[in-house]
Amino acid sequence: MECGLGENVGARRTFVAVDRWMERYQQADPEAPAALIGALSPGLLRFFRSRAASREQADDLLQETWMRIHRVRHTYRPGEPVLPWVYAIARRVRIDGYRRTHRITAHEVSMETVPEPPVQVVQREMLPSFDTLLAALPAPQREVLTMLKIVGLTLEETACATSSTVGAVKQKAHRAYKRLRQLLQAGGEEDRPGGAE
Amino acid sequence: MNCRDIDGMLVEGSLGSPFSTDVEDHVRDCARCQLLVSATRTSTLTDEPSPVTLVHIESRLIADLRPVRPLRRLYVFAALIAIFVFAVAVAVYRLGAFAITAMSPLQASVILGTLAVCTGLLVSSLVQQIVPGRRHRISPHLVPAGIMVALAGVIALLFHFQPERNFWARDWACLKTGISLGAIVAVPLWLVLRRGAILSPALTGAAAGLLAGLVGTSSLELHCPNLHAAHILVSHLGVAVLGASVGLFTGIVADVRNSYATRSSIPRAGEGGSRLL
Repeated sequence: MECGLGENVGARRTFVAVDRWMERYQQADPEAPAALIGALSPGLLRFFRSRAASREQADDLLQETWMRIHRVRHTYRPGEPVLPWVYAIARRVRIDGYRRTHRITAHEVSMETVPEPPVQVVQREMLPSFDTLLAALPAPQREVLTMLKIVGLTLEETACATSSTVGAVKQKAHRAYKRLRQLLQAGGEEDRPGGAE
Repeated sequence: MNCRDIDGMLVEGSLGSPFSTDVEDHVRDCARCQLLVSATRTSTLTDEPSPVTLVHIESRLIADLRPVRPLRRLYVFAALIAIFVFAVAVAVYRLGAFAITAMSPLQASVILGTLAVCTGLLVSSLVQQIVPGRRHRISPHLVPAGIMVALAGVIALLFHFQPERNFWARDWACLKTGISLGAIVAVPLWLVLRRGAILSPALTGAAAGLLAGLVGTSSLELHCPNLHAAHILVSHLGVAVLGASVGLFTGIVADVRNSYATRSSIPRAGEGGSRLL
């Protein structure tokens, strides 16, 4: 099943009220957790799933993120955007989760080698999903594109969430798109003529 | 309109839907852009969190719901600076400020000014680090390294390299004093920093260790009348470098311990347990 990524960006704009809910959460309003969890969890789940995490792992990371958010909720400053704050925490949880998984799998002996699905492409009718293409990018570029395109953060918000600068985020995104073009072109060279640059 | 413009619009998120006429024309004629734009508009990540998980998370948050006062960054900044100034003042009061009379006014103003600017920059970076999602004007990865390089450069330019007798004996005396000061100051610094959210223990550890080390370096710069560049680099700036290294190591250890501990403390939905982290 496919969806328009543009819709995610649009949906994010409806989260203006999330800032208010966050303030109420700090004031221990019992309605605030449900409102925040309902509004932010779908995006967070997509964020975790984008790194090829299984559904179970993504659910674990989602829970862990909310526990950390709860523990450090006093560090949110009322009036400031919630999304960079939340995704900075989620990003950290994902790094810890990745390390944990890596440590566990390093001790497991694989019984058979399961080949990774190739990221080769491309015929118009067989266009791979954006998530499949992301898997072929280096981790920093993949993280930036995930935040920009799948979660729907702005450049500034992505820079804040990754403790980076807007310039650095732009540079990574440009490189990522360049790489995606190469991947798409490599797969589709036999079928179609060159571009119009 | 060309492919580079399309890349720029994708990065900025300004491609729009539906496309403008220019974009439409280019995408229609350019096979590569057609593929890229189509690919960026598809995602298979459509699954929603399960209601059971959401209810479980909510119940755990509500079980521990108490009002909290938002952290004030200005207070944290002021507290860190106050600890630094107080520690240096006490150290210089106890040890004596013999270096002030030994240094020329230029040397004194430049080295102390540089130390003050570096400390301000480091404290500011630390405050940003303990508040998630803050905008960084300078990457926090660059700040500690940049400070050490800047201080080393200033010391090498301001002071002379000369052969020195009993180099290691003198150095060890200064190092010992500086390390002791840094170790003492590290405790109140950590107590202030733990009020925030330390997302990257290694990075914050290195910066906090460097700040503790800079207390030692600054005190020695005011106290020690030995103006040989090699001595200052090794035994004064060495305290800061050592502090940053110990902080980095401590942070890495904490990081590894965190990643071991976190999962085991969180029961899955349906597993029961209501204790928060």
